[in-house]
Amino acid sequence: MDLLLQFQHILQSDPLIDEVGFVHPTQFATLTEDSTGDAAISDGTTFWCRDHKLGVSTQAVLPLYNAAKRAFIAAMEEYKRLGDDGLESEVMKHSKALLLLSSDFGTAWNSRKLVVSKKQQLSMYMGELLLSALVLSCSPKSDQAWSHRRWVIKSITGKCSALQEILGKESELVEKIAERSKMNYRAWNHRCWLVSYMTREQVMHELKKSRNWAGLHVADNCCFHYRRRLMLQILKDSTCKLENASPGYSVEVSEVWKEELDWNEMLINRYIGREALWLHRRFLSLCWMKQFATNLHDVSCHSDLKISTSDSFNSFIDNELHLLNSCSTILDNDFEDFQAQATYSATYILWLTKQIPEFWSEFQEKLTIGNLKTMLSKVCPERSFLWDSLID
Amino acid sequence: MGGLAAEKHIQYILTVEKRKDDFVSVVMEHLRMSGAYWGLTTLDLLEKLDTVDVDEVVSWVMNCQHESGGFGGNIGHDPHILYTLSAVQVLALFDKLNVLDIDKVTNYVAGLQNGDGSFSGDIWGEVDTRFSYIAICCLSILRCLNKINVEKAVSYIISCKNLDGGFGCTPGGESHAGQIFCCVAALSLTGSLHHIDKDLLGWWLCERQVKSGGLNGRPEKLPDVCYSWWVLSSLIMIDRVHWINKEKLVKYILDCQDLENGGISDRPDDAVDVYHTYFGVAGLSLLEYPGLKAIDPAYALPVNVVNRIFFGR
Ligand SMILES: [Zn+2]
Repeated sequence: MDLLLQFQHILQSDPLIDEVGFVHPTQFATLTEDSTGDAAISDGTTFWCRDHKLGVSTQAVLPLYNAAKRAFIAAMEEYKRLGDDGLESEVMKHSKALLLLSSDFGTAWNSRKLVVSKKQQLSMYMGELLLSALVLSCSPKSDQAWSHRRWVIKSITGKCSALQEILGKESELVEKIAERSKMNYRAWNHRCWLVSYMTREQVMHELKKSRNWAGLHVADNCCFHYRRRLMLQILKDSTCKLENASPGYSVEVSEVWKEELDWNEMLINRYIGREALWLHRRFLSLCWMKQFATNLHDVSCHSDLKISTSDSFNSFIDNELHLLNSCSTILDNDFEDFQAQATYSATYILWLTKQIPEFWSEFQEKLTIGNLKTMLSKVCPERSFLWDSLID
Repeated sequence: MGGLAAEKHIQYILTVEKRKDDFVSVVMEHLRMSGAYWGLTTLDLLEKLDTVDVDEVVSWVMNCQHESGGFGGNIGHDPHILYTLSAVQVLALFDKLNVLDIDKVTNYVAGLQNGDGSFSGDIWGEVDTRFSYIAICCLSILRCLNKINVEKAVSYIISCKNLDGGFGCTPGGESHAGQIFCCVAALSLTGSLHHIDKDLLGWWLCERQVKSGGLNGRPEKLPDVCYSWWVLSSLIMIDRVHWINKEKLVKYILDCQDLENGGISDRPDDAVDVYHTYFGVAGLSLLEYPGLKAIDPAYALPVNVVNRIFFGR
């Protein structure tokens, strides 16, 4: 049978296929041997399918791609020329095959958008989410596949009662793909984009849910950025809806920050020398100081969210200086990680003093800035150009 | 350590253009317009653009134009703002902007601006600060910036700024060196750099330099030659390039060359491609490496090409 027909036949006969992968011919032989009879479709050399997972031999990819492209272009030309509804299924079938082989073939994604937007059926939009997920199973960084999902969500917003449920599933999909594809910017960018469509309850729920994953992937800045996105959304909601909110609401928001600061400190002490953790702390501390901490000397700055404990500012500074001291002791074992930890802790303090002038004066009283420069020049001489400009 | 293997890279670019039968080149065919821009700009920086048949390239580029005025990534492909800029840049390299129906192209680009000042990539509405840069760069080259609402375009870009000083794809998106380049260059081209906290952004950018001297695009990532361009051009535009170690970066880029067959890869000993070859050579040009033409950090075109556009050579 014709290669493309065979491929499309397998895809059609098992609509539950949720993963496609490309397999080298040598691995192919072992796959076929392992699949002991039950329900494995395989011709032994090109395709292998079981448990809704489809493997395609890397040797077949080029001829398959060429055939799929030819078929797609021919179908699209016919469809444009005749505008015939009967040709839609051809366009959909061939664009699907093509996208599984070349995930950023924008014209093929566009042809699907054209067909689906003409039909305006919710089930077709849902089908696009499934196809995009299938493409992402073999091309997790495909910009176009992620973009296609946003197009679907924008198209059904206001027309579909299950939107909140769909957003939850989108978020889960990102997490699933991020597990296999580390620091995948496109995937996490999609998750950040979803936040503006979420209810306040969902945002809170996402913050709770993503914490475990972040703790297990402390080098993945993307997940920490996602948490920053969620936290800023919570803050934004709280400042614009403050009049209507319950009295305890601002306390609740500051609790979110306090908890994150404590958790981050625990991770910093457990995982030595992780850049993403320290960058997260820069963000947390900056917002904490600006939004919540009360400085008794500073009467000009009033925020409704500030906590009226008189010493929150000073105790915060004391805590951060304590953290700096404990992190800048370089032990001999595992030298590199401790050196990184010392560098990150000192740059963290320096960064904060540059961002918050009030912190600068308090800080100077408690630790001389000259010490910080000496320390940075010692543990991180490669960035001496920066230290020289910043600390004079 | 040897220097830049310029001759090898020229040969590599010229042969890769002719290769059309392996999967890697075939699967790139939807973005051939960008490939052409990378390859041809590299040749120009190496002073070898005259080895290319101008008429052949120009007629191919014009065959990629859609009736809407936008360009596709290849003949028969749908138009997109990405390939429209690449097409304009390629024509600019050859001093052939006069073959364009300027109104048609600029109307296509201006028509992609949304009410909030952002830009869509095409009629299907994906929004990204990359597209803001592309629109502004394209219209600036064609001297039609007045066709869009520049003020709103700028305020949308500013709304994508993060507390770390960097920029993301949309408001609240993670900072990424590629997006930062787009936002900084767009602000530079519209005279709006005062919206940037240069010390804060410069700090984030120079923290991209890792021990080997190479630059990464985000925290905790491995260094990659293409970020030599995105990070370096941004640092130059905000006047903070003296915060990184240039010698070590030059060495890192040179270490990523394939000295046998030409071309530059993302990391030492990886497979080379046109994209990284271009960004490696362009990065070295920004670092004032001898024997290379100077490149403009905002337009991503050789300085002499930019001067020709604005000052009639
Ligand atoms: Zn790269």
